[in-house]
Amino acid sequence: MSRSARWLQILGLAVLAAGLPGLDYGSPLGWLSAGLLLLAALKLAEARSVQERRLVSLLTLIGCGVQGAQQPELLPSVLQLLGTGLALAGLLALEVGEGLSWRAVLRRSLAVLLAALPMALLLFLLVPRLDPLWTAPSLRGPGAAVTGLSADLDPGSIASLANDEAPAARVSFSSATPPDPQGRYWRVIVHERFDGRRWSRLDEPAKATVPPANAPSSAADQAGPSQVWLVEPSPVHALPWAGTGQGSSSQLRVSRNGELRRQLPGRERLAYLLRDVDRPQAWQQRPPTLVDLSLPAGSNPQLESLGESWRTLPQPEQRLAAAQAWFTSHTFRYSRTPGALPARRGLDVFLFERREGFCGHYASAFTALMRSAGVPARVVSGYLGGRWVQPLGGTPYLDLRQSDAHAWSEVWLPNRGWQRVDPSAWVGSSASNPVGVVGSAAAGSSKLEGWRLGMQWLQWQWWGLDLAWNRWWLGFDQASQEALLRRLFGDQRQGLGLVLLGGAGGLLALGLGWLQWLQTPERGDRLERDLHAVLRLLRRWGIEPAPGETFGQLCLRARERLPGRREALQELSRCHGLLRFARLNPTARARHWAAWRTALRTLQHSP
Amino acid sequence: MASRPLQPLITAIGRVLLGKEQAVQLALACLLARGHLLIEDLPGMGKTTLAEALARGFGLSFKRVSFTSDLLPADLTGINVFDAANTRFHFQPGPLFSQVLLADEINRASPRTQSALLEAMAAGRVSVDGVSHPLPQPFLVIATQNGIDQVGTAPLPESQLDRFLMRLSLGFPNREAERALLGGAALPPASLEPFCDATGLLELQRQAATQHCSTALLDYVLDLAAFSRRADQPGPGLSPRACQGLVAAARAWSLLEGRDHVTPADVQAVLPAVADHRLQRDAAALLAGVDGLR
Repeated sequence: MSRSARWLQILGLAVLAAGLPGLDYGSPLGWLSAGLLLLAALKLAEARSVQERRLVSLLTLIGCGVQGAQQPELLPSVLQLLGTGLALAGLLALEVGEGLSWRAVLRRSLAVLLAALPMALLLFLLVPRLDPLWTAPSLRGPGAAVTGLSADLDPGSIASLANDEAPAARVSFSSATPPDPQGRYWRVIVHERFDGRRWSRLDEPAKATVPPANAPSSAADQAGPSQVWLVEPSPVHALPWAGTGQGSSSQLRVSRNGELRRQLPGRERLAYLLRDVDRPQAWQQRPPTLVDLSLPAGSNPQLESLGESWRTLPQPEQRLAAAQAWFTSHTFRYSRTPGALPARRGLDVFLFERREGFCGHYASAFTALMRSAGVPARVVSGYLGGRWVQPLGGTPYLDLRQSDAHAWSEVWLPNRGWQRVDPSAWVGSSASNPVGVVGSAAAGSSKLEGWRLGMQWLQWQWWGLDLAWNRWWLGFDQASQEALLRRLFGDQRQGLGLVLLGGAGGLLALGLGWLQWLQTPERGDRLERDLHAVLRLLRRWGIEPAPGETFGQLCLRARERLPGRREALQELSRCHGLLRFARLNPTARARHWAAWRTALRTLQHSP
Repeated sequence: MASRPLQPLITAIGRVLLGKEQAVQLALACLLARGHLLIEDLPGMGKTTLAEALARGFGLSFKRVSFTSDLLPADLTGINVFDAANTRFHFQPGPLFSQVLLADEINRASPRTQSALLEAMAAGRVSVDGVSHPLPQPFLVIATQNGIDQVGTAPLPESQLDRFLMRLSLGFPNREAERALLGGAALPPASLEPFCDATGLLELQRQAATQHCSTALLDYVLDLAAFSRRADQPGPGLSPRACQGLVAAARAWSLLEGRDHVTPADVQAVLPAVADHRLQRDAAALLAGVDGLR
């Protein structure tokens, strides 16, 4: 039993184990992967016979597959591929590797993987795209929160805003150019309920959500530009989006008030693709409810009286303009450290006394003002701006950090639907986008800083590759598949199943045939056939092989009898010895093979 | 075809032992295959000359022991002798501790002594009073024996014959060679220049062991073995060890022929020397039973 097989298997398991931390143990598949790995490791420890070791490799292969079903991202994919290769190499070392070097075994395993490529391609293109099979409820409680936007917005209780440089999301655009800075509002959470101090989400049943752009998809949509998002784990269901687009997966839903949601919150990173559509989204036209006007009476009396003074204006647009004029006519200052506001009359203190705060304060005060003026309004939090990164390889993308978090308002204008209004923008251009303060707080010694920047650069490069990968596999979704099938087979797809089956079988046979060809470099049968042709010729000239004679000895004997064919016979004898018994590289083999054929033809056509 | 790498040595030994080129090449193949050699012949046929020429050709240390009926195992292996000055025993190695040992007339010694020699050949080490002493490397035993019809001999049983990779018989030289011999053309073995040293021999042995054997060739050897074991063939047939020896000898032969791979012709060349003494009959008869056209 070869020792290299054991080491290859250990390596394969180690690579597979490296993928474990990224799994979502909220789903049964995560536990299945961990269990498979544990089982394989235990089996490896106790394995004595070839059958048992074979089982270890098979378990590793299944583990790779199960991990692949959960983690289609670039790094896990590379790890899974490596694990598969090592497991195959272990299996090969076990079955045929006696005396083969490590490199030979690894090369063969690569050949096996390559042979499987046509089948993989076919499956990728043609197997029906299914939504994730495992949509069991999460085993994890809501307490396991990770960084992200909070479901509640209470700016008054925040004395100072920390600059959190943790990555939030990355988005790449098929047009490869980012939207202009004014368009970079990525909405995540809609806060509608207001208790005088805190804005919170409206709990909405999942039934009320619809797929984004829930309209019959047309071929034109497929060709349109798209965005690929990669979102870090977040405690909320809501995901960033521009408020418009068509999702690639039915996992994505849009709530009544325009939040893009995933079915389950998760600890794993999420990638999704949104195709741009021109149609207005349903949530933008959905009329407001009473919640969007409610304001607890007496919580902020000064604010209410100011807002009510605008009720005399007939049009909501005019009330909006009045509010903007009021904000710009007073000196407000943007500050990340405004200090906490009192629990009672918090917004009054902000608007009429301190007049300094961050986006949350402005959005909160403006929305309350609009409600008191009788205009339906709500607070939206999400991300604004982002850093446009152009990596050396991969896709250019927008890098969103937690420090890019922002809050703004939406107001309902009867003829135009919900409109975005950003009151923070009225208090000075530098204030609205907090991107300018990157890293100033974290500045340490210059060496440390250089190290940090270097790591940052490396991370940006990696993210670029990562996004390119995600764009590739996300881009080929159900709709693209449908379009491809339609293009290939037209609308008549009666025999498609048979065609698929035939194609798969054909490709499988092709791969197996190639493997077979790889494994029999001797091509013995052709040599055997030619040998019999030579023997037939010699018999015709009256030369019978003696019992036990080798071909070389026969040729030597024949040369005495057929002096005219000396050279051909000598060449045949030489080539036969080499082709049959020597260890030849492919080029040498081809050369001797050609010489053998030439000599054979010479012998056949000699008079 | 590549040149034969040991041809200079074969030619040089040919000037010492006239007209025996085939036997010399077989003896060299046996040496390269790390096997031991049994030369069975009448006295005065050049057995000792061949052994000495082989040892000199590779610059190996050479000892000769004439086996007699009163030779004891300790006379071969050496004994622990008492050193009065240091008041302790120390090991005094016997003639077995040389790289080439010529065991002359091995069938004259008692079975007990023969057995001690054959044990040492197989194990590559000698145990005296419970202490094991490794034999030098390379280690080659060339044993000679006279025709077994002579009086006062203990012929080697088959199981011990099996320990020798090859059995050669030099036979009478042809008339031409004998005339040259009588004319004084043969050089003494001492005049041989070493072809290489012991390290070079070890490298050659390693090279011989890695000569390529294709599946077709191994199938040929297996067919020969299967044929020898058939019910209509006399005797029990070739043992797996005999087959191993056959392949090892064929590998060494192919190296001597200047090839990097083994062909059926190599197997056929060494088959009589390797198989005759194991089968107790003419092994060349096997060849006609197996198709060599492969």
